[in-house]
Amino acid sequence: MEILSLNNITKDYPGVKALDDVSISFEKGEVHALVGENGAGKSTFIKTISGAIEPTSGTIVFEGKEYSHLTPSQSIELGIAVVYQELIQFEAMSVVDNIFMGMSDKEKMVLDKKDRFKRAKELLEIFDAEFSPNDLIRDLSVANRQIVELAKAVVMNAKIVIMDEPTAAITVAEQEKLYKLVHKLKNDGITVIYISHRLSELFLICDRVSVLRDGKFIKTMNIKDTDQDDLIKHMVGRELGNTYPEKKPASDEVVLEVENVTGNGVHDISFKLHKGEILGFAGLVGAGRTELMHVIYGAAKKTSGKIIKNGKECHYKLPSQAVKDGIGLIPEDRKFQGCFVDKPINWNIAISNLDSISGKCGVVNTKKEKELAEKYRDRMKIKTPYLDQLANNLSGGNQQKVVIAKALAANPDILIFDEPTRGIDIGARREIYELMNELAESGKSIIMVSSDMEELLGMSERLIVLYEGNQMGELKREEFTQERVLTLASGIKEDKQL
Amino acid sequence: MEATKKKKSVGEILADFSLPILLVALIIFFSIMSENFFTPLNLTNILIQNVHVAVVSAAVMIIMISGGCDLSIGYQMSVAAVLVTKLMSVYGLNPVLGSIIAVALCSALGCFNGIMALKLKSHTMIVTLGTMAIFQGISFLISGSKTFHNLPTSFMILGQGKIGPIPINVIVMVVILVGIGFVMQKTKVGRKVYAAGDNPEAARLAGLNVGRIKVLSFTIAGIFVGIGALLLASRAGSADSSTGTGIEFTGITACVLSGVALKGGEGTLWKVIVAVFVLGVLANGMQLINLGTYPQYIAKGAIMLISLYLTNRNMKAM
Repeated sequence: MEILSLNNITKDYPGVKALDDVSISFEKGEVHALVGENGAGKSTFIKTISGAIEPTSGTIVFEGKEYSHLTPSQSIELGIAVVYQELIQFEAMSVVDNIFMGMSDKEKMVLDKKDRFKRAKELLEIFDAEFSPNDLIRDLSVANRQIVELAKAVVMNAKIVIMDEPTAAITVAEQEKLYKLVHKLKNDGITVIYISHRLSELFLICDRVSVLRDGKFIKTMNIKDTDQDDLIKHMVGRELGNTYPEKKPASDEVVLEVENVTGNGVHDISFKLHKGEILGFAGLVGAGRTELMHVIYGAAKKTSGKIIKNGKECHYKLPSQAVKDGIGLIPEDRKFQGCFVDKPINWNIAISNLDSISGKCGVVNTKKEKELAEKYRDRMKIKTPYLDQLANNLSGGNQQKVVIAKALAANPDILIFDEPTRGIDIGARREIYELMNELAESGKSIIMVSSDMEELLGMSERLIVLYEGNQMGELKREEFTQERVLTLASGIKEDKQL
Repeated sequence: MEATKKKKSVGEILADFSLPILLVALIIFFSIMSENFFTPLNLTNILIQNVHVAVVSAAVMIIMISGGCDLSIGYQMSVAAVLVTKLMSVYGLNPVLGSIIAVALCSALGCFNGIMALKLKSHTMIVTLGTMAIFQGISFLISGSKTFHNLPTSFMILGQGKIGPIPINVIVMVVILVGIGFVMQKTKVGRKVYAAGDNPEAARLAGLNVGRIKVLSFTIAGIFVGIGALLLASRAGSADSSTGTGIEFTGITACVLSGVALKGGEGTLWKVIVAVFVLGVLANGMQLINLGTYPQYIAKGAIMLISLYLTNRNMKAM
């Protein structure tokens, strides 16, 4: 039975057609994936359903009733809930308050605390949540915050739940749990519209998949009738080669030695990084990977242990010292740690390397700045008409390229990539992988932290697995299997003899 | 793809110039309403009366761009003004030496604010709420609630002298503002201040020493607060502990009106200065058309809201 259909939706923005005559219909109780590269029109499509924008033409039919457009409150009343990729929540308020936030007019003037707590607890039990309704949102992990959003959708009697990249920021174990939740919603007759760049997971949970490309509707398929390569072909409109490009092996020269490092939530970590190597770090969220990187980068304190770079022990108290010493970091949170979103591209690229583009008295040479930015625009294939465009106006992939350019501009010989492809589409991902290989082959050494198991296994030459701040093991390329990594990441020690 | 500059849209240009347009509108309005407004004497008066406001507002802008907010600026000025005037009038200190002491003192007080905020890990607004009280106390301890007159002529030249037809304090103001504008827009240090205010975490991870940049912003701003104190005291010919107090709010108002972001990282000096003169013209004009004190408050508030509306409406039209 059809619950929602969008017919011939077109959305014009000055200069671009974000959606061009798109028609997709959704069945009751199905999990319907929506895929496409960044800029394909997925967000605009979702915003049309959630009422955030008004389409230029076309109609929306919900349970047989036709609308020219929806307003946000209409959409909520009809039972459409959106779990955004960047969750919009009240950070300083409790889980209970967040779950019942939109419901205030149905509640009594004076809130019944006990009753609310009880109802929230019941809800969270359905979702197997391991936190209390009284916990504050800001203390929860991304995965747990998603559970809160889903609970909120259930409270609102949602008929359609739209999930935008829900697995982008959560770990493998949490992903399994999320898939179960999606099944639970589906069994309750709720339609799930699922957006993801991780194509492999679609085959685990979805019934049908619709592909968008450049604002146009390409086709809707039963997931059984397609495979990953076929989907990618439809998304990019051409065949892509191997996702993970080949790379020359690293040399034996050790550039970074970490010896028994403890601090910032990690304990007794030791490893060596070789020149030209890509070394992967696997683990669940909270395993301490980012925390360890911050210790190496001088962004957090180490309490004991040694970090030796090129035979010299380093004592970084601040990232500025690490940057000067040739270590670069591409932080995990692009918008809040990596990019200055409301500053221009050239400004962003130059900020870590102002010395090289300024004269003696500290006056910035705008010509040199432009040259630097142009160099990296061409090298990284940053797609933008103007270099004084605000970073905010770029797609995720291009924003990430700007962040990488910023780190590269400071001329590091060791680069730490923390979740380099989170929320980035396949085409741009591949470009980032190629760039990482190119950097490694040119003699730079790379540490890569990722929650995307596929890319970690595809890109790394060695893999170190962390669990709750401890080093569980190290795997060589020929030992890589998803199972082994998962076992270690879950804190189960392998028997070395096997 | 060769272009690196983007053309601005009409909306952006209008948003850029909403304050100058408002200023011109106010000038035309008051010229029609009062024959005494658009006279060389009155216009010079407006300029001279706002010289120290413009300099101090520029200091406020630096602090706000770095992501801070300094409520103690008024009493920093007060401390500097009473100290320098007391030293000169009571102890006969050399005016040049006195001026240097005043500027150094304000710079030290600003530095103190910055370091306190860093060490206490608090927002600068809260920290300076505390230091404001301390500076107030210090100011009254120095002045003993007295007013200091009889300042040396060589000191008064700064506030009342002229080179040709141009008042010296106006020249000082222009030089300082051009300098600040240049440093903020064209130099490494300026870039870093914007970066630290715009996104401190990204700045830290990009290898900037955010703590040092913020303390530096407060210290540099203190220099201009000190100069502001000198400009005000030399023009008035006297100083007491109320000298300069409340100026932080005028400065913050001018900054906010001109679009300096409260969270830091954004702001343009010329717009701040235009905003200062919007407020200055408004105050002067309302006096001339004999608007009562209370209606003046209402008109001032209304103009602020109108200006915010103009800026934001045109921003959306982008």
